[in-house]
Amino acid sequence: MPASGSSSGRAVWAILRKECRSEWRTRYGLNAALLFAVTSLASTSFAVGRMSDRPDVLAALLWVVLLFAALASLAHTFVRETEGHTMVLMRLVASPTAIAMGKLIFNLLFLVSIELVTLPLFLAFMGAPPPRWGALLAILALANVALAAAATLVAAVIAQTRGRGALFAGVSFPVLLPVLAAAVSGTRAQWSGAPVGAELRLLAAYAVALLAASLLLYDHLWEDA
Amino acid sequence: MIGRALLLLWIAAWIVAAFVWAPLVPVLGETTRVLYFHIPAAWVTVLALGWSMIHSLLYLKRRNLEHDHQAAAAAEIGLMFCVVATVSGALWAKAMWGAYWNWDPRETSIFFLLLIYAAYLALRSAIDQPERRARLAAVYSAIAFVSVPFLIFVVPRIYFSLHPDPIINPRGKVDMDPRIRVVFFALLLGFTGLYFWVQSLRVRVARVEHRMEERRGSGNVG
Amino acid sequence: MEARALTHRYGHRPVLDQLSFAFQGPGVVAVRGPNGSGKSTLIRVLAGLLRTSGGETTLHVDGRATPSRNRQRWIGYAGPDLSFYPEFTALENLTFAAEARGLARPAERSRERLEKVGLAARGGERVHALSSGMAQRLRLAFALLDDPPLLLLDEPGNHLDDEGRQALATLIREEGTRRLVMIATNDEREGALAGQRVELGTRGLGDPA
Repeated sequence: MPASGSSSGRAVWAILRKECRSEWRTRYGLNAALLFAVTSLASTSFAVGRMSDRPDVLAALLWVVLLFAALASLAHTFVRETEGHTMVLMRLVASPTAIAMGKLIFNLLFLVSIELVTLPLFLAFMGAPPPRWGALLAILALANVALAAAATLVAAVIAQTRGRGALFAGVSFPVLLPVLAAAVSGTRAQWSGAPVGAELRLLAAYAVALLAASLLLYDHLWEDA
Repeated sequence: MIGRALLLLWIAAWIVAAFVWAPLVPVLGETTRVLYFHIPAAWVTVLALGWSMIHSLLYLKRRNLEHDHQAAAAAEIGLMFCVVATVSGALWAKAMWGAYWNWDPRETSIFFLLLIYAAYLALRSAIDQPERRARLAAVYSAIAFVSVPFLIFVVPRIYFSLHPDPIINPRGKVDMDPRIRVVFFALLLGFTGLYFWVQSLRVRVARVEHRMEERRGSGNVG
Repeated sequence: MEARALTHRYGHRPVLDQLSFAFQGPGVVAVRGPNGSGKSTLIRVLAGLLRTSGGETTLHVDGRATPSRNRQRWIGYAGPDLSFYPEFTALENLTFAAEARGLARPAERSRERLEKVGLAARGGERVHALSSGMAQRLRLAFALLDDPPLLLLDEPGNHLDDEGRQALATLIREEGTRRLVMIATNDEREGALAGQRVELGTRGLGDPA
């Protein structure tokens, strides 16, 4: 019989690898998300042109594009399990928290992959002034963690409903709003030369709060009532 | 019975007083009257949200469906009052500042609460089994509970910096004239009583609905 | 395995009502009853997949009660609701399960189990290409993955041809000498393997009479 502490970590790692391999085999989620992000970026650029002198608008647009891409794709990990009826298998091999953490880390990597493509394209297309990379990357990193934590939790909830994906955007939006607001504010600040400490602290605090809540809540999610 | 009648009389009387007895605040003019309805409605919105969230957490702890009935009822009623608060706030904003919506911190907060209520009720409507619905709704309630304080703190930061000329909120100065204060708190009390009354009615309906479902389910199908 | 006053409802329909029993392994127990009487529900409750509305179950291993939180570690479950990842091979699915559970030698162990259920040749095939009979064998291999003290099988003979059912009967008999096996079944042959029984009544829909 396996030991309890280490098996949690092993479960998370095994699940993470499974998610990555699954994504690689089907390539279903990442392609769609990238296409979505690039399309929204292109539409935005087409509609407003270059915005070199408006860091406030740029910040807002960047995060709207990223948010939309996230909303369109982060629910997949759980929705696919529900539709493939593989949750029973999951629940029999790993604890709810391990399942959640594995998928959360996957969603985090997913977000980073999208941003690796979208961010440079955004900066180029929109004629953005050069960013303060330290600040911008810090904001992105913390916002990603908060986004992943919130989105994974909400996805786990809506995957068990009739609405599934359709419900995800509406139900997760209020929970994602603090991240959006802080991220936009911080992104704008780093372009205006203002300090971003407050936004970073807020994002970090929110991420921690969400993770703490997750640890308590995931146990209640899959009792298959 | 007597209690309900008294409550109605109370509210009616103070509404009349709001129009004939209480004076106007100079800055606000005739729009003073709105604050007697708008602020109590906003207060009930928050009260209902708190009630709903507490019962959601209690459900997770105790698994008694009664808590779910309370949480769901509170959410429905809270949504109604939230709409009242938002609309009355928008009307007041139009009269005072010329625009229905400004993304002023208070307006943003109430809008955010509207979103939470709507999301919660949408989630509920997408699940058929009572126990699963109660459980998932309660989990979402807990998530929202985490996000509320952050939005209260984030909003002032981002929007005060976007609007460098702060829109002076005159509400803070209103409670000066004693007559206004009296009417205001009386109606605040009245609205709170109204909320709990409607809440109890809605919960009773929910209990009956639940029992009907049970009877229909376990009964004579074959 | 001990159950006390188990009660469960599906929606508003009561399915299990104040059920109590205690069984000790090794041995085979059959859970029988007409369709809709709650056989699957009972098995899933015992597996920790379903939370009851009332009552409790306790699994004692080596004389000590295990916390219900960790139930999955001590049981092997195979039921119709168990599905595998179609994009992975049978072997990959089992290896994933073994890795997630923190078992030693995951790939080797998975291969051994596949052999045991007669799927050794099909291990490298993606699950979506497997027939329902092969998928059923895969479920059995999964249940046996870490030699659990309690095996819970819900309709294990589903989709199996005669040869498969023979092999299954042998398997159950063998495992029954090593651990406690509880099977939910209406099949007479499988029922005959059992030393003890739980008979579920006719609550809920579908009273065949």
